Amino acid sequence: MAVEFSTLLKPTSRARRLKSDFVVVLAVAATLIAVIPLAAVSLYVISSGAGVVSLDFFTQDPPGDLSAAGGGIRNAIAGTLEMTALATAFAAPTGILIAIFDTEVGGRVATGTRLFIDVMAALPSIVVGIFVYSLVVVTQGHFSGFAGSVALAAIMLPVIVISTEEMLRLIPRPISEGARALGLRRWRTYLSVYIPTAMSGIFTGLLLAVSRAIGETAPLLFTSLGNNFFTTDINEPMQGMPLLIYRNALNSAFPAARDRAMGAALTLVVMVLAFNLLGRWLVARRRPGRNPGR
Amino acid sequence: MVVATDTRQTPMAAVEAAQSDQPLPPEAAVLRLHHVNAYYGPRRVVRDISLDIARNSITAIIGPSGSGKSTLLRCMDRMHEVVPHARATGLIEYRGIDLYDKRVDPAAVRRSIGMVFQQPNPFPTMSIFDNVAAPARFNGLVHGRNEAADLVERCLRQAALWDEVKDKLRQSGTSLSGGQQQRLCIARALALAPDVLLMDEPCSALDPVATLQIEQLMTDLRADYTIVIVTHNMQQASRVSDRTAFLTMGEDGAGYLVEEGPTGRIFTQPREQLTEDYISGRFG
Repeated sequence: MAVEFSTLLKPTSRARRLKSDFVVVLAVAATLIAVIPLAAVSLYVISSGAGVVSLDFFTQDPPGDLSAAGGGIRNAIAGTLEMTALATAFAAPTGILIAIFDTEVGGRVATGTRLFIDVMAALPSIVVGIFVYSLVVVTQGHFSGFAGSVALAAIMLPVIVISTEEMLRLIPRPISEGARALGLRRWRTYLSVYIPTAMSGIFTGLLLAVSRAIGETAPLLFTSLGNNFFTTDINEPMQGMPLLIYRNALNSAFPAARDRAMGAALTLVVMVLAFNLLGRWLVARRRPGRNPGR
Repeated sequence: MVVATDTRQTPMAAVEAAQSDQPLPPEAAVLRLHHVNAYYGPRRVVRDISLDIARNSITAIIGPSGSGKSTLLRCMDRMHEVVPHARATGLIEYRGIDLYDKRVDPAAVRRSIGMVFQQPNPFPTMSIFDNVAAPARFNGLVHGRNEAADLVERCLRQAALWDEVKDKLRQSGTSLSGGQQQRLCIARALALAPDVLLMDEPCSALDPVATLQIEQLMTDLRADYTIVIVTHNMQQASRVSDRTAFLTMGEDGAGYLVEEGPTGRIFTQPREQLTEDYISGRFG
């Protein structure tokens, strides 16, 4: 039977075009539903926080009485940066190694770890906080920034493992076989071929984990506790930005506390954004040039 | 005294031995396969193949899809076992050593027996320079910047790619065209100074111009290396190879060797009806 090429000239049926338009409208609507709350929150944080933020806000510690005006959030910024950095130092190498173990070794043990990691990812963050409380705080006998870091690391670990595993699985077979066929040792194959190939993905997962940990309040409540004074000593209770926001927002009947919470919220959002942009830029820069020049 | 038939003496003598219709003398063989079977899980894909690979010559393995050509090739550098649940039985001798001996390190085998794949596979995060230099450096063959630079230039020249890339060695290997990428992969394999080069349909993803360049390159490399090429392109086999092995798929679904010999004879006077049918396009 001959193909009816004449149908090419016929206009597409009305029902078909309507169906197509309907799906497009649905997709746009879904996007708007996702974007509107995000934009609303961002706008709210910016409009309420922008007036609070000044140089003093970053360089001074809060007043002893949170209902009093003035002061800044220096202690919370320092605490959050220090605890998050330490947590990343704990969780990133461990997470990447676990992911390599799961993808490369496999078998029953790997299935076990994967299940464990999945459970860990689903754990409410408050439970992580209580767990680390009994593990570190009770053992040490005091709250500390160190305990806070461990709790944040426990939040980050499953995110890093899952995303790294995903990325390692995506390495094309010709690339992995090419490395094996050159007689490279397994560890060398990972270090010099697999990890660099999957780097941008692994890094994105890492950023995601950092962004998640940096905003967590619950794990810090029972571990780093909070501290009204500036400290970089990891053995002392330490203030974190989410903790500061939480405590001040609870007292938002006082305009000073409310303003401080909003200013800190804006600072936190900008910090996370900056981390993400910086990370992406670093990953993009590491690739060999596609453009001429040496 | 140099005897022309003593294949240990010169590459030319080795080529002549490979092209002659006399049985290949054992000392002319680099790789000797004895009763090789290969499996994926319970499924046998290569059945009882015995074959000698002549030194300093090009051996083509031809046959229809599913005849086990690539699997057989991958047994020769122990890449077959990289696939989960894949295994091989039989004996493969490489210069008198059993490749599957427990004491043999598969990574070391792959350094002596290089491989080029169907899809060009330069490492995407490495520059052209590092694609050639890094594997050699990792295996401890070069030390320092200057030695690496010399090696890269020598291998890229050998792979007939130097003139095209010498001004952009810092660019990504994946920025090259398909044919250039494949020559880069050949240069990368040569950088390990292998003894044997296995090529698994190296031209099937390339256009005719790039294919011709690779074929020319293979002929040039023959003086220094032993090459085994899997191809489904019979013209290519007849153009470049000294010896040809014809495989086909048996009723059990496993590939087996129908006949093997100097390319000239296989293509003009095959001894087996199956070979003649395949070569003349009457394969059914």
